[in-house]
Amino acid sequence: MITQEELATTSISMRYDLSPIRNIIGDLSGLLGNFSDELIGAFYSKTVSKKANIVITELVNNAVVNSPNSDGKITLEIMINKDLLRIRVTNVANRSQYRTVRDHIKMINSTGDLRKLLADTIRERRKDRMRGGLGLIRLAAENKFSLSARYRAPYLIVDSQIGLGGLS
Amino acid sequence: MKVLAYGEIMDGGISVFSSVAKVDADLLIVSFGGSIRIDNPYKYLEQYLAELDQLIPKEEIGRIEFDFKELDFCNSNGFYIIMDITELIIDAIKGPIKIKRLKDDDWQQETLPILLNVDEPEIEARTTFEEFADI
Repeated sequence: MITQEELATTSISMRYDLSPIRNIIGDLSGLLGNFSDELIGAFYSKTVSKKANIVITELVNNAVVNSPNSDGKITLEIMINKDLLRIRVTNVANRSQYRTVRDHIKMINSTGDLRKLLADTIRERRKDRMRGGLGLIRLAAENKFSLSARYRAPYLIVDSQIGLGGLS
Repeated sequence: MKVLAYGEIMDGGISVFSSVAKVDADLLIVSFGGSIRIDNPYKYLEQYLAELDQLIPKEEIGRIEFDFKELDFCNSNGFYIIMDITELIIDAIKGPIKIKRLKDDDWQQETLPILLNVDEPEIEARTTFEEFADI
């Protein structure tokens, strides 16, 4: 009989390439997030699979909403093993968009009190019912992911990862 | 027990999120279930908010229970509607608040207290959390 601890040593990797973006008319982030939640949850704890769901939902949604080129593609890569969960989303972006994301992540990574940053940002944006702007902060403050962004023209690549020591 | 108000979000013809407010003697129980994933939950829940605002003051309610155990997912666009529903109730009823939540759910543990404004001493003083395992 395999134990829960043994199941949580399973290595899984997945990659999805979707193009063109203009054909994405349904809730793609929800589909990918829920499926990954189910699959990862078959091996790892619900805590881990829910983290994956939230990251996939927020990052894929950002990519779909902000992609300037409707002919472009979105790539989602998921990798999990007993030590690490890494989720990477790649989409076409211009340099200005890259700099915005890079600076936002830099601000998040340099913040000492992420909970306060999340609380202040939610309250500030709520005043004007502003959409967006919370997802990346949430991933760091709530789900404890490390975030990074790089640019390989014309692609913006956003990486999020978390060590699974004690979580799986 | 009587149902005071009910709100839901439909997606593709099926209900994906629901919230129901029930009154049992002096206790108001507001439960949340399903997932909030859409961009604009107000499109579906504006009427529910209006009904809560209108009906709660007519009831003799002394205690509040918010039940989040069945809420599987809430995207960041859903934060404001959760804040609006809970704030409206917390402001209207000055009694104790019990929060039922999942102990292994990041957003219920980390972000939900922010949405409920538990940092406010007045709210913190009357709020208790009851933790549940996700089955």
